[in-house]
Amino acid sequence: MAPGRSRKRKIEDEEEEREAPPLASSGSAVDPDESLEQSLTFSDTLVALQIMRAQFPRIEKVSIKPFVLRSQLYSSVMDRTQVDRELETLRRAKTIRIFKLNTGQDDHAVMFLDDYINQIDSVVKKMEEKKLLNLEAFDWFKIHVIDTRLEPNISHDDLCSLLSLGGRVKEEHVTLLINGGVIVRQLIDPGMYWFAIPSIGSVLKGLSQGRKELLGLLSRKRYKEEMMATLEKKRLRLSPLDIRFHLRDLIGSGHLKTVSTPSGLVVRVSKD
Amino acid sequence: MWKEIERRESGKIRPHLFASRLKSRRVASMQLSNSKDIVSPHRGSINSLQVDLTEGRYLLSAASDASVAVYDVQQPQDYEGGGLIAKHKSILVLDKQHEEGHKYAVSSAVWYPIDTGLFITGSYDNSIKVWDTNTTQMVMNFKMPGKVYTTAMSPLATSHMLIAAGTEDVQVRLCDIASGAFAHTLSGHHDGVMTAQWSASNEWVLITGGCDGAIRFWDIRRAGCFRVLDQSHSQLGRRPPVLSRVTAKASTSKVLLGGQNTSAKTGMALRKLSYSNGTKQASAGKILAKTSSKQRLHPGMMSIRDRATAHYGAVTGLRVTEDGMYLLSTGSDSRLRLWDIKSGCNTLVNFETVRLQTNKAIQLAISPDSSHVFVPCMASVKAFDFWSGKTFMTFRGHYENVNCCWFSSRDQELYTAGNDRQILVWSPFVSQEMEEEAALDRDCWSD
Repeated sequence: MAPGRSRKRKIEDEEEEREAPPLASSGSAVDPDESLEQSLTFSDTLVALQIMRAQFPRIEKVSIKPFVLRSQLYSSVMDRTQVDRELETLRRAKTIRIFKLNTGQDDHAVMFLDDYINQIDSVVKKMEEKKLLNLEAFDWFKIHVIDTRLEPNISHDDLCSLLSLGGRVKEEHVTLLINGGVIVRQLIDPGMYWFAIPSIGSVLKGLSQGRKELLGLLSRKRYKEEMMATLEKKRLRLSPLDIRFHLRDLIGSGHLKTVSTPSGLVVRVSKD
Repeated sequence: MWKEIERRESGKIRPHLFASRLKSRRVASMQLSNSKDIVSPHRGSINSLQVDLTEGRYLLSAASDASVAVYDVQQPQDYEGGGLIAKHKSILVLDKQHEEGHKYAVSSAVWYPIDTGLFITGSYDNSIKVWDTNTTQMVMNFKMPGKVYTTAMSPLATSHMLIAAGTEDVQVRLCDIASGAFAHTLSGHHDGVMTAQWSASNEWVLITGGCDGAIRFWDIRRAGCFRVLDQSHSQLGRRPPVLSRVTAKASTSKVLLGGQNTSAKTGMALRKLSYSNGTKQASAGKILAKTSSKQRLHPGMMSIRDRATAHYGAVTGLRVTEDGMYLLSTGSDSRLRLWDIKSGCNTLVNFETVRLQTNKAIQLAISPDSSHVFVPCMASVKAFDFWSGKTFMTFRGHYENVNCCWFSSRDQELYTAGNDRQILVWSPFVSQEMEEEAALDRDCWSD
């Protein structure tokens, strides 16, 4: 179904060639009313983001909008500095939002802003079904906080002052936001809240377990390597995300490396 | 090579260009030296290396077994292998047997920047000692409140002789050699200070990196730091564009850094100037936040409240480029970041580091023309291209984690040392031609 399934290529031009035409027709994150001027040129990172968003696996139990890990972008675009800079430009243009994840040291998830807003709306709908109060906090959050605060974290005082632009803020509003999963606290810093993707918990657990499983699978081999063609047909036991997701992530973060051989790409555990 | 010399001779290329081309060719051919060997007397992992700045001749190393050694890297003491391998043994060793020697691990040893008559060592036994090199006697002893992680002296200083000491205490202390006492302390960090570097362009500016992940710039003549680097402030390129506007980011209220706060006297209104170069829209209306703590702070001390971090973890290494324009920092989040000092922004150059060691400070080296960075990455040392972040070379030779490296620009040699107690020399490849002397008859059957 998804284009490029037969053979995964890490050369970004060939991916673009094949993926861009079907993508243009599906119009995943492209606004149909956008003028041609705005959507005339693409940056490599933006195309890579759209490709990976289209390839995000469907998980049955959890309804979650597609997100892309930063390390996956590093695996597909050649120049990492260019990826960082383009992500920064897109973030400032409010096309995407970057979240810091708590799996590992430097994990970041990139999500399109429209997807994020839709995710928050679905959380609000679920809460309305449970007949919870103070749901206007989410609206204030969407209008005031997300629009102005582009960094992945926010301090308690800033959050309260921004929410108070919408109305009188009470402690229950902040608690509700935390329960909804849009804001989390991390142990490193007590006074800071970090933005998070709601209902992502099980997916993150699957992410870290899947990483371990895939690395273990390859390390147990005699020469610690495997052909990519055979590897991508496997299914991971412990993770709901598909193996392609994990492969891109581990290649981008440097734990695995690809070697091109006459019979195709080979994935090898990299020893530092 | 001969063609280059010919062109230099005829004046087609300038002398500086000729020299820099030669140097970069030599750097590109660096490998484990086959002609030079440094014999290290240390019995513990080596924590710091420094070649003196005046002559570039003496190498000072500090190890975890409380020993400090000095080597001459230009004149060997001994030759081995038929005169092919030069052995550089230590000309001076200070260890626990010395009556004033350190008791625990020595974490850093630096030369006095003016000449090699003095050197300064800082150790986990909470003391910093100043030694006279020729008589190997301790001249001064400064007692610190905690383990000393780093010591630094400014190479540009003409009017002060201060040692900046970073310890596990949150305050950075300045020790004065001239008077033998502490000059003053710099507060602002929220956790221990792991690295300290003096600026290469100003003798009064000190840069420190702490275990709380913050990098602070201090002007030692004033109280408080004047800049805290924030990793979310970034610029897309080497220099910010000329017409960058300093926009008042009014929607968030944060601490204003340094002495630019107009209404700081009341301590009630806090505003922050951000130097980001995107098209930030200033939202309507300014929000003044009341400070929650009622304690009145000196305007220079407002920076204590600023909790911006440069790394998601501790800052384990700092190095300023020789021209004083850029700062490189490594953190325990295994990232290497390049900062523009003038604007205080992250230049977003991505260095391909996978893992960096997180529990100890590491010492980086930058080549003088700011083209390569040498970073110890676990058991190897990687050289990265400065502006693209790509791995240029990898030096694999150590058996265990590498802690420190030093690039000597005179000979284009790299000295690295680590937990395996060895100091390795990496020098440009020179092919050893076999001498055509009459080989000794080594057969063992009768003729």
